[in-house]
Amino acid sequence: MENILCLYVNSMELETREIARGLRRRDPDLLDELIGRYQFRLPRYLWTLTGNRAVAEDLFQETWIRVLEKSHLYNPQWRFETWLFSIARNLAIDLLRQRQPESLDALLNPGSEGAPREWPDCESATPFEAAAAGEQAENIKHVLRRLPAEAREVLVLRFQEDLDLSEIAEVVKAPLSTVKSRLYRGMEALRDFLEEEAV
Amino acid sequence: MNPDVHQRACQLMDALHVEGILPVDRQWLEAHLAECSTCQGRARANERALQALRSNTISIAPELVGITQARVRLRARELRENQVRMRALWISCALSWVLGVASAPLVWHAFQWVGLHAALPNMIWETAFALWWLLPAGAVAVLAAWQQRRAANRDGYTTLPH
Repeated sequence: MENILCLYVNSMELETREIARGLRRRDPDLLDELIGRYQFRLPRYLWTLTGNRAVAEDLFQETWIRVLEKSHLYNPQWRFETWLFSIARNLAIDLLRQRQPESLDALLNPGSEGAPREWPDCESATPFEAAAAGEQAENIKHVLRRLPAEAREVLVLRFQEDLDLSEIAEVVKAPLSTVKSRLYRGMEALRDFLEEEAV
Repeated sequence: MNPDVHQRACQLMDALHVEGILPVDRQWLEAHLAECSTCQGRARANERALQALRSNTISIAPELVGITQARVRLRARELRENQVRMRALWISCALSWVLGVASAPLVWHAFQWVGLHAALPNMIWETAFALWWLLPAGAVAVLAAWQQRRAANRDGYTTLPH
């Protein structure tokens, strides 16, 4: 078991070093591959942050442009997605701040004024997608909308994107203890809201 | 059952997902869950919540990836071209500096000669020499400032994350 874990860690390190080398060279093939690899995870995270599909798609493009321009700054000590989500988050906050110069929580929270939040729903999906989505998926989207922005963000990073606590702390630029407390609060709220939805 | 026991079980259940728990705590939790239906319900609620969260998917425009890849390639080309231009600029700056240093004594004598023949005070021709010396650096500074402003206008921002 330890050997497998060691092999996994080594291969991860090798991969991040390869990515760092490729990024320094601004290797277009590597960037193509990375864009393809994160084509679902990155928009999902951006969607969680902004609540707006069009904005998330714009930010998806801008994030990759920024990755290219800042490629020499990638530190292979961190997994690539940690750096990627960190850049995406900074861009999202910059954009939201331009639109609404208020507090960060107010910017990211649902129910605030400004750009309408268009959470994914059945109306925007094809009939097949809508049927396949199922009741639970609808519930979670509704519930995510109700969660405080900070809790929503860390929950998504932890349980959808599988980042560990230190990586989340790096992405959201918050101490580890803050990340943990946001996660506990988020889990509690998530559980409560889902139970409410089920009733 | 003591309410503290349930509270501990709840804390461990949350901690299990958030930061992991010690094997001894896991054993205790499993034993408790085996005999407590209330906590079993909460454990199931936790699992349902996380499963629902993990199942959350979004649909993106199918052409988004292609468009992004094309934009990134285009920008990469621009950056490479910029890099080549900047390299040329730096090389010419270095050459200019070397030539400047090498020719400084000659230029000094030339200014001195002009100053003597035109009967100018020393201060005048020495200042003229200093200005002559600063001319290339000034030109490069103006060029660099212009390029930076052009880049900022194009990108729409000047500050970048780390």
